[in-house]
Amino acid sequence: MAGFVDTLLNLDRRWLFLLVFIGVALPIILPIGLPVTTTGSTRAAFEHIEALKPGDYVIISFDYGPSSAPENDPMAEGIMRQCFLKRVRVVVMVLYQLGGLQLANNALAKVTAEFPDLKYGVDYVNLGYKDGAAAVMKRMGDDIVGAFPTDVRGTPLAQIPLFKGLHSLKQVGVVVTIATGIIGEYWITQAHQQSGVPIIIGPTAVGAPKYYAYLNAGQLVGMLGGMKGAAEYEKLLAARYPPLDRLYKTTHAFTATKGMDAQTVIHFIIIVFILIGNIAYMSRRAAQKRAAAAR
Amino acid sequence: MTPFPDIGTWVAALLTLFALSFLYKDNPLFRFTESLFAGVSLGYYVGTTLNQTLVPNLIKPLTHDFNQNWDLLVPGLLGLLLYMRYVPKTGWVARYALAIYVAYYIGLDFTRRIHGEVLPQLGRAIVPLSHLDGHTIFYSLVFAIGVFSVLIYFFFSKEQDQVTRRIARVGIWFLMVSFGAAFGFTVMGRVALLIGRLNFLILDWIYPLIGIR
Repeated sequence: MAGFVDTLLNLDRRWLFLLVFIGVALPIILPIGLPVTTTGSTRAAFEHIEALKPGDYVIISFDYGPSSAPENDPMAEGIMRQCFLKRVRVVVMVLYQLGGLQLANNALAKVTAEFPDLKYGVDYVNLGYKDGAAAVMKRMGDDIVGAFPTDVRGTPLAQIPLFKGLHSLKQVGVVVTIATGIIGEYWITQAHQQSGVPIIIGPTAVGAPKYYAYLNAGQLVGMLGGMKGAAEYEKLLAARYPPLDRLYKTTHAFTATKGMDAQTVIHFIIIVFILIGNIAYMSRRAAQKRAAAAR
Repeated sequence: MTPFPDIGTWVAALLTLFALSFLYKDNPLFRFTESLFAGVSLGYYVGTTLNQTLVPNLIKPLTHDFNQNWDLLVPGLLGLLLYMRYVPKTGWVARYALAIYVAYYIGLDFTRRIHGEVLPQLGRAIVPLSHLDGHTIFYSLVFAIGVFSVLIYFFFSKEQDQVTRRIARVGIWFLMVSFGAAFGFTVMGRVALLIGRLNFLILDWIYPLIGIR
């Protein structure tokens, strides 16, 4: 027994890496389809967008980069799909410098390809990247055109039909910030406080805990926390919109729901090894105490 | 016919494997990938700053319509002053630009913190319990006890006596629970990154390579 415990406590950590690697790879190759339960914060976000009317405006701010794309991409794509199905007009913008614009372009190209009847400039616009997050929000509170004189293609906003009736953040139904880092906080503590625009946040899992305080204080209408939040949103979308149910079930591409299979397996492995490690540690300590008492 | 992975996918896949190879042990392929990543990131940063910040916000407005945008010379000059620190004799000039930036951010952040964080959070922490239902009262009580005990824990102006020490102990428990939740979320976030990478390797590289889909 003592030998086995020592083996466990001295186990080369690379075996654990291999186990985690297999634990992630297997569910990708052979999806399990584990159930995803939804939480109140995700449902609140979903229902807020559901309550918008056709023609309302939603701003989706890509405030993240490639380093957190597996968590954030499914959120952005899911919310975009919901808006387009409801004929809500979408304004995409980017405040994150390192790769944010590329991700926004990719997501927009991917989702708009699923809705061929949508028209650029009428149903959606891509404003591109702007430096100085907090200052940009401050300006957008009064004058969106002042903050973004042109869209990503260089067309003046005055020439874009979507902006005929949209001048400030106060007219926007909701700002969705898909965020890593501090930019999400700026949207809540600055844009929301100054213009009153409702905010939905899709933070990375690492950033999610701090946003519960804002959610609790009523400064957020909803939150999608990490990959789990994205998977919850996909489930809500699939339940409400049959075409999306078909899409999420048939696509070979990555979805948060598929990712949660691997998450669950890995969490199980981690919990098992935490238990094994603690039991082995306590066993060895008990054995050492017995040995000391025998001397 | 499944499309064969293109050159970009091959490069990304191999670099991913090189980066992951560090988990086995340190090796030249990992070092190469690490250096390449650092270099490319810096280059990308410089490129986007130049093309998406300086050119559209400073250079283009100044060159296209100087009369309307001449005031941009002031922030442009302040930006240039920052680089004076590399000239030993005139390095002090950079402090003026730095002082203006610091003042700007203090002004911006001060109101943001007070109106966007402190006041709304305080408002939520002192809701009148008499107006709430039983379920909400429970959560509000837990919330209030948590806020109070953690504040006591971080109150360093007076030495703790027997009572405040016990309250601070409760605060430590609240902090431990929050650290545990944060750690759990962090694990989930890091695993999500690995899931993203393996998804790429399997779905975008290996599957097309062996002709699946």
